[in-house]
Amino acid sequence: MFGFFKNKYDNPALLEEIRQTEEKWFVFLDKLETRLDELCSAAVPELIALFNEDSDPYKRAHSRMLTGLMGQISQMQQKAIEAKEEHIIPFMHASSAVLPDLISSAGRKYHDRLYRFQMACFDRHHQFEDKVNEGIAALRSTEGNADLEAVYQRQLTEFERIKDKFSCKQCGGKLILQKMFFIATYIQCPFCQTQNTYTPSTEMQMLFHQARSLAEQRTKHLLLIYEQSRPKNPALYQQYLRSMFDEWNKITPDMLEENERFYQRLLKDHSINHY
Amino acid sequence: MHNTEKNNTQSYLDRLKKQAISQENYGAEIKYDEANIQVYDCPECGAARALGDGLTVCAYCGYQFMTVKLSDGIHIKKGNNS
Amino acid sequence: MSENPLLAPIHGITLEDYSAACAKMGSGLSEDQIAKALGVEMPVWQEANLLWQERMKEDATYQIVTLFGQHFGTADQHPKFSNLQAVVSPEATGYIEKIKTDKDFYQELEVARQVAYDYGLDGASWIADQYGISIGDFQIAASLWNEQIHRDIAADSQKYMRTQDAYKEKYRQKFATAQGGNVADDIEF
Repeated sequence: MFGFFKNKYDNPALLEEIRQTEEKWFVFLDKLETRLDELCSAAVPELIALFNEDSDPYKRAHSRMLTGLMGQISQMQQKAIEAKEEHIIPFMHASSAVLPDLISSAGRKYHDRLYRFQMACFDRHHQFEDKVNEGIAALRSTEGNADLEAVYQRQLTEFERIKDKFSCKQCGGKLILQKMFFIATYIQCPFCQTQNTYTPSTEMQMLFHQARSLAEQRTKHLLLIYEQSRPKNPALYQQYLRSMFDEWNKITPDMLEENERFYQRLLKDHSINHY
Repeated sequence: MHNTEKNNTQSYLDRLKKQAISQENYGAEIKYDEANIQVYDCPECGAARALGDGLTVCAYCGYQFMTVKLSDGIHIKKGNNS
Repeated sequence: MSENPLLAPIHGITLEDYSAACAKMGSGLSEDQIAKALGVEMPVWQEANLLWQERMKEDATYQIVTLFGQHFGTADQHPKFSNLQAVVSPEATGYIEKIKTDKDFYQELEVARQVAYDYGLDGASWIADQYGISIGDFQIAASLWNEQIHRDIAADSQKYMRTQDAYKEKYRQKFATAQGGNVADDIEF
């Protein structure tokens, strides 16, 4: 039976086509990678400049430029995937179909060549995807961190400056703010008992919404310790979370009760997902 | 040809940046207000509002400042109902 | 039947009130107008605003946020806000009406909004500039169409995907042309 296949299968044209297709694929991905690298290298300093120059506290212009670049990278990724689906994969199937059986000695050499072609193309594609991820990471790294500690300090200083500057609008008596309020609050005049309405500054109100981010910044190192633990140690996560919430409560102490409930919920969620 | 491609990439970046800067942020400019103190006397009889009388109804003429029943919030509590 | 304590009103402001208020703020009403419409003063509204969000954060069952989404969609019918409309042009009024009554129009605009980000534009601003539709109106429409769209996907997910893909392609081309093409247009296999 095996004698029948001792006639060697000879298809140099196919070998050449495999070689050319592989080369074309590599050249194509090389070009895409070069363009990707050009784009990201040039974009990074522009993004950093834009972030620093933007007076918008939410840095929305930077965000728009960033998402636009991500869109272009995504387009390049899509291009590679479509080329693979249109040119590489069908070619593999078609070539495979004309070959004799794998188990025959005649077929073995060609199947091997095709297998190496497949591996080389897929590996090269993975390499490209890795470069894409590197590029994305480089672009993301331009998302500076607003110096929240400095923002907080400014508000603390400002609070000290204004806390005894207010007078009751009814009787003119001195009103002293007992603590930093972050939302509109009724304050009672100690002299005439009238309820005044205190409205904190826009910046103070904004700080309230940045409190959690600041707390996370302060406790980032603990989160890192948890994330680096192998296997992941839930006790370390709890340690991080507790610490983060303690910092959060220092900044907005009026929210302590509410924060405690949120803390419990997050802990529960985490333990459910962990196990 | 290599330089043209680099120039094309650069000019794309320039246009992207320009567009990002020129598109107005949703909701327009953020308005920065200073902290302030106000009183809201009764619009009917002009009386001031004292803590003991609660926040919701004017102790003098019965005018309703607020039509709701306050619950225990952060600083505002059930006891602040008139 | 025990009532979920997390659904109890906060300072007399029910979840329905709160959801409608958020929708209306997204549609252009100011906090002052909202507080007035709810019959409260600013400190009360701001506490309720904070505390309703805390309830949602606390609720692991997602019941509250789900109800919030549903009530959001019916904000236009909420009695306390019936007299209050944000100031919009007649053209915009037409488009706002259309996204809430024409599902295809809504879905197409929803895709356009997303694709805009891929081309360096803020999607919400783009929708507002082109059609005069605010974020709030868009979110109301999203809430209104939510169930129907889920039913469509369950009935024929292939058709849904095809429609979405067609919209994506349309707007990718539109935005790409507007920006002078994509960065890698000259690179082919």
